[in-house]
Amino acid sequence: MTHEASCIHRLVDLPPGVFDEMREAQGQARPAYREYLAWLSSMSDVQMQSRRAEADLLFRRMGITFSVYGEAEGTERLIPSDVVPRIIEASEWQSLSRGLTQRITAINRFLDDVYHEQEILRAGVVPREQVLSNAQYRPEVAGVRPRNGVYTQIAGVDIVRHADGAYYVLEDNLRVPSGVSYMLSNRRMMMRLFPDLFRLHRVRPVDHYPALLLRALKAASERDDPVVALLTPGRFNSAYFEHAFLAKQMGIELVEGQDLFVENTRVYMRTTEGPRRVDVIYRRIDDLFLDPKAFRPDSLLGVPGLIDCYRAGEVAICNAVGTGVADDKSIYPYVPEMIRFYLGEEPLLNNVPTWQCREPDQLEHVLAHLGELVVKEVHGAGGYGMLVGPTSTRAEIEAFRAVLKAQPANYIAQPTLSLSACPTFVDEGIASRHIDLRPFVLMGREIEIVPGGLTRVALRRGSLVVNSSQGGGTKDTWVIDRTDSSVGVEAGATAVRAAATQGE
Amino acid sequence: MLSRVAWHLYWMARYMERAENMARILDVGASLAMLSAPGDTSAAIEPLVITDSLDEFLKRAEAPSADAVARFIAWDREHPSSILNCLQSCRENARSVRGAITAEMWECINDTWLQLNARRTAQPVDPAFFDWVRERSHLLHGVMQATIRQGQPRQFMLLGMFLERADNTARILSVKQPVEAQAQRQSRSQSQSMGRSLDPVQPQPVAAPTRDGLSEHYRLNAVLRSVSALEAYRDVRHDQIDDRGVAELLIFDPTLPRSLRRCVEEVCTILLALPGDPARLARRLAAHMAALLQHGALEDVERVGLQAFLERFIRNTVRLGEAVQEAYMPTA
Repeated sequence: MTHEASCIHRLVDLPPGVFDEMREAQGQARPAYREYLAWLSSMSDVQMQSRRAEADLLFRRMGITFSVYGEAEGTERLIPSDVVPRIIEASEWQSLSRGLTQRITAINRFLDDVYHEQEILRAGVVPREQVLSNAQYRPEVAGVRPRNGVYTQIAGVDIVRHADGAYYVLEDNLRVPSGVSYMLSNRRMMMRLFPDLFRLHRVRPVDHYPALLLRALKAASERDDPVVALLTPGRFNSAYFEHAFLAKQMGIELVEGQDLFVENTRVYMRTTEGPRRVDVIYRRIDDLFLDPKAFRPDSLLGVPGLIDCYRAGEVAICNAVGTGVADDKSIYPYVPEMIRFYLGEEPLLNNVPTWQCREPDQLEHVLAHLGELVVKEVHGAGGYGMLVGPTSTRAEIEAFRAVLKAQPANYIAQPTLSLSACPTFVDEGIASRHIDLRPFVLMGREIEIVPGGLTRVALRRGSLVVNSSQGGGTKDTWVIDRTDSSVGVEAGATAVRAAATQGE
Repeated sequence: MLSRVAWHLYWMARYMERAENMARILDVGASLAMLSAPGDTSAAIEPLVITDSLDEFLKRAEAPSADAVARFIAWDREHPSSILNCLQSCRENARSVRGAITAEMWECINDTWLQLNARRTAQPVDPAFFDWVRERSHLLHGVMQATIRQGQPRQFMLLGMFLERADNTARILSVKQPVEAQAQRQSRSQSQSMGRSLDPVQPQPVAAPTRDGLSEHYRLNAVLRSVSALEAYRDVRHDQIDDRGVAELLIFDPTLPRSLRRCVEEVCTILLALPGDPARLARRLAAHMAALLQHGALEDVERVGLQAFLERFIRNTVRLGEAVQEAYMPTA
């Protein structure tokens, strides 16, 4: 008989409208969490606290930090890594993974199309001006075709789970998605702290990610055994830890703009043995900073002349230049149409339903439901020019109605989504917190996705903000093969063998 | 490897070695201060003289006690070579090239920095602190030898370390000098303006001109201990500790890890292993310095005077460092 209460005594049923990842009604564990919840119930607050302290120490020692801009001393902070994993069953992952593959395939077809033939524009599926006058469209690279028509070697697709239990894609993140180093570090930390749990579960590994990434990057070059380098803005960038981490894991050079130079439309790095040619640049710098000659002339981070080399096919840039046009807010609603147009398939993953106020009938619907919807400016960012219906006053809604009617084409509207919640170890103990999911989709010759991805968690009670700069943390994400189903597979194999024997 | 990375590794190692040397110098300073008469501050400022930071210290208008000097060299933000600044620069350089060092090395450096910050508020600057700094430097060196591959990153770190060490041994040795140089130094420093001189050694009066044999013995003892050479002296010379013996050991001994000869020979070996074309000048300078140490004798030193010899050696070390940078780490 233990003297200490189980650490899960504070868990309560969530309000309707929030999907509980771990438990069904009456505190029953969902199948994926059956073993885990039993284990967690046997742990006390004190035991969990000591594991968490160990995890913090481990992370601090490894220096897994992110930089915070605009703070002098102590500019490095630890991203809180939760000790409670998020668990997804293999069958569920299978369908997510198929949906992601379909989506990213279509998006790459779209990118190739808008920088070449523009069939989708001619067919009128996506309005021409939405693409060509988009701030993320780069006419400088029109007509340049990256090898195999692959534009996004890495995509970090943000997915949330709504009250209905279904997954919805929020954003596609096709430019310089980050966070994968936390996915890998979380797993290392969890395996070290909870070997008992890894014996209890069959968790699919993720640590081959760097090898897959390197393969995808190398596939971008025509040359045999190409030289790949990771281009970072430098150690003051908030994601510098990740840049260094990935370069190290892949065994490639971590370069800054000043380490590279261009001669005769070829890119070289300065080494102790003289110049060395670079074939593939895995850039963690935005398009506009890549080359002061082609884009922003004040950029000190880039390499003068780089875009000329890219156009001449002498260097591959990953992700390709100009991918931002496909993850823009105004293009997002068309992704399901892209899937139908290029692949002739129905989309497997849900888009958040989006009303385009430029269409009169859709505007009418939006005006009738302003109190329930989120209305966003198409080219706005950072939450400006936006109405969140459920949290606004009647006067605010009416004021916004006037603005919307005057300039309907500037706005889209979406229903307010709730994020699912998962038990999380916070200061007051184990409590439910909202989470999302960012799987990393790699595309070399074909698409590969390591099982799971990065789960971000809003550590403040009730908060829906999972960003690390605003009190967000991360969780290790497990895709598990359930033991009983694996028993089933083995039994099936035996049956097949038996049948074969009979046939002889 | 990338030139910029080589540069960071070289300085990372130099700064760690420099932090260790600062601790060694403070340690010898603390021992000397204990020997001096009450009210006599000449021993207390010795560490400032060795490290060329007396001017900087005098600007602070603080009484030069052993304690104030130790705090200055250990913690002062304005002193470019304070232990605090050295360990921070070491970590900053390491952070820029985390991909080029092993995870174990990074953890060692990062942990050193975290512990240093904890000590900053909690602990006095005492022998236990000096020992800690020395231990962290040895730990990093050990971790490097145990975990990193043979290759250029390792070579550049060792290069930085041995150049810094050679410079340091020469400076520590210049504490201990013949009486005539002592007098010479005194008169020079009195006539000299306090402006920054290019001469790396800033001569200052260091102690009472006459010393009794006992304090001289302790003084030499402290010098030897500060370069971990006290036991080596006994093993090699089986003799009473004296001026000439100490100079000969620290300059010419081919086996002592911190002797000038050993450091310069290590630098020569490393330069031969690195790509040759860019390094012709550096190799020639190093080989020349090595030849003087391999085929020279104490009489040659005494002919020019120990102080002058050491000053020239330090200047050559600086030139060699510059040649290395020009060869492998040209500014873009």
